[in-house]
Amino acid sequence: MKKKMRVLASVCALSMAVTALTACGSKDNAKTAATDDPNAKDTITALLPPVSANFQSSFDQISKDFTAKYPNLTLKIEPASWEDMTQKLDTQVNAGSPPDIAFIPSDGIPKYVDSGMLMDISDTATDEMIKDYDPAPLEYMKNGKGLYGFPAYMEAHAIGGNKEFMEKAGIDYKKVQKEGWTFDEFREAIKKGVVTENGKTSRYGFVFATAGVTSKDYLDILVKSAGMPSAFNKDLKYTYTSKNFLEVLKDMRVMIDDGSMPKELSSIDAGKRWNMFLTGQTMITGKGLAGFERSAKENNEKLKNNDPNAVKGSIPVEYVVLPVPSFAGAEAQTRVAVDGYVTFRGTKEPTAAHKANVVKAANFLSSGQVAATTNNELYVAQITESSRKAAESMPVDRDPDNKAAVETMLQHAVPARPDIPTDLGAKALKLEDEVIVPKLQALIAGEITPEAMYDAVKTAAVAAFGEDGVVKD
Amino acid sequence: MTEYAKPIKRRKFNSDAAWGYAFIAAALLIFIMFTAYPVVSALIISFQDYKPLGSTFIGFDNYTETFKDSLFWKAIVNTIVYTLLTVPVSLFLSFSVSILILPFKKRMQTAFKAIYYLPAVASGVALSVVWLWIYDPMPEGIFNKLTAFFGLGTHNWLGSSTYAMFSLVLMAWLSSHGTSIIIYLAALLGIDGSYYEAAELDGANFFKKLWYIVVPCLKPTTLFLLVTGVIGSFQVFQNAYLMTGGGPDNATTMVGLLIFNNAFKYFEFGKAAAQSLILAAIIAGISVIQFKFLGKDVEY
Repeated sequence: MKKKMRVLASVCALSMAVTALTACGSKDNAKTAATDDPNAKDTITALLPPVSANFQSSFDQISKDFTAKYPNLTLKIEPASWEDMTQKLDTQVNAGSPPDIAFIPSDGIPKYVDSGMLMDISDTATDEMIKDYDPAPLEYMKNGKGLYGFPAYMEAHAIGGNKEFMEKAGIDYKKVQKEGWTFDEFREAIKKGVVTENGKTSRYGFVFATAGVTSKDYLDILVKSAGMPSAFNKDLKYTYTSKNFLEVLKDMRVMIDDGSMPKELSSIDAGKRWNMFLTGQTMITGKGLAGFERSAKENNEKLKNNDPNAVKGSIPVEYVVLPVPSFAGAEAQTRVAVDGYVTFRGTKEPTAAHKANVVKAANFLSSGQVAATTNNELYVAQITESSRKAAESMPVDRDPDNKAAVETMLQHAVPARPDIPTDLGAKALKLEDEVIVPKLQALIAGEITPEAMYDAVKTAAVAAFGEDGVVKD
Repeated sequence: MTEYAKPIKRRKFNSDAAWGYAFIAAALLIFIMFTAYPVVSALIISFQDYKPLGSTFIGFDNYTETFKDSLFWKAIVNTIVYTLLTVPVSLFLSFSVSILILPFKKRMQTAFKAIYYLPAVASGVALSVVWLWIYDPMPEGIFNKLTAFFGLGTHNWLGSSTYAMFSLVLMAWLSSHGTSIIIYLAALLGIDGSYYEAAELDGANFFKKLWYIVVPCLKPTTLFLLVTGVIGSFQVFQNAYLMTGGGPDNATTMVGLLIFNNAFKYFEFGKAAAQSLILAAIIAGISVIQFKFLGKDVEY
């Protein structure tokens, strides 16, 4: 009896151990095609956020359509919220078992290239596929000589104005949409937008979100139009040590000091500034995305129908797309967000067949009907021939002036920089996170001067890239 | 001698002991997998340039880089300041609330315990969203309305270096005392009533009883809460991450946030592991000091 109990106990302990260890085991290779047969059955996994309002609810249909096109393939999509997306993906990448495809901003590519887990598809993507994409956004999916996925859209980062307020302030916004404006012209315009009642400002000329996830955007968008389209010039020298950088910092401060922007700007996040725009507390807001026109229209509709879900205290607003002003006599260049479907590999080398299947899936998601539907919902331009064709029959209720303004801005889009080595890119990212953003917060809060911030950035840049690695002008 | 040894050997392998080993094995396995293994892994990774496809051994580079990093030391100072401001006040508040709850009947005590424990059950993210709303920087923000009412003006609570740390500290002061209150209350109920009776016979008032009976009797509990509070405070991450992101100008960057950023933002797992182990050593050192100086006359 005692012997039986000992055996039973040992079996219990052993089975627990085995169960636990099995759970920890990698299933990395389970999904990949075991053979090089291109017609063998294969499953492709994708981790996708809610790119547009109806994107995630159409996953079943997308998977069905994909299998209808490629009968031997299954597209298994795992949905993730925008908040969870990065953390989920990073955990999977560092555990060595990422999904085959993930939807991320293209500026995240260097980080994953450095980890060795991105899959270069330049030798697998067919000419037919490549020709379908506009060259400018496709470049954003490259790093060095490698191509690491396909772009979904290229969106201009602009600013947006309240049509009625701008007309009242005498701003010729249609001219600005076509020809752009300098910082001095912009400053005069936003001054006119300020409304003061009983000594208190009831409306600001300009409010840009600078807190939370938007902390990097403000400065990054402005410096593009100050002769610094990238953190590195063509000689790979760090550019934010240029005197134009200091000029931008001074201009940022002056807009707060003259009351055109709120002194509490450093705590205003994306949600707050959109609320301020819809409730008439600011004439112009940033950053502006194409979809904001739709959001404003939806809220107008709710107000019209006395819908209690309309933003509390909001007023009807006609959203006007405006370009970012140019600084220090430089040419205005538009910062763009190119997001897309990047391709990953596991810890083991993928078979040629599986790699080709992953490319087919990434191409399927980023072009044709899927891209047409998603980009239409987002109010962003189609960037593939196939999606342009598919979108022809889709109605878009978009202001033609706004559409034309975005197209003008996209003609001045900052070009991609796949030539920047990943180690330089990583250093610049860290400098941005640990010095530029914190100092910018202090500058906006009025705790340091533009000169102090410029000196801090310069010192950190020299420490990171060396005296010869930075721009001196 | 051999005769004594035999029964001991038999006791080791009787059926009860076998079951004991089986159950210990389960707990031990979980401990090895989820505690010991990650710690050993972190130690190994701290000497590596970690990459999923193959790491390289780089000796003490991650440690020397960390010690040279001014942001790491700023984060340490911020964490110490946060700990010094939050832990003692939190202990005092928990102790005071427990004393106030003690005279009630059991049902009322339970009700208050539940009320005070509620924030611990609520999601930290949800609580942070509420606090972000309270700290709205514009004049119509709740906290700004309150301070303006008392003539203290309006402030950019989370956006200025002057107020950001205070805002996080205030948030800690006003939430999550539930666990400490329950532990204090359990300890208070464990004090023998005869002590109070004797003190009353000697004419002791409320404060005398508090100082000469309650405080000494609760010393082991206070020491436990102090040590665990300091450990928890040194590992603080969520508040800074969700409320300020470490800003402005790194005024609220805590060590936990710095480690998270190095690991998940920059994929510098080696450096993050080294910083985690340095933090663990600091916490262990402080805990030893606490036990040495505050635990001298504590009886368990």
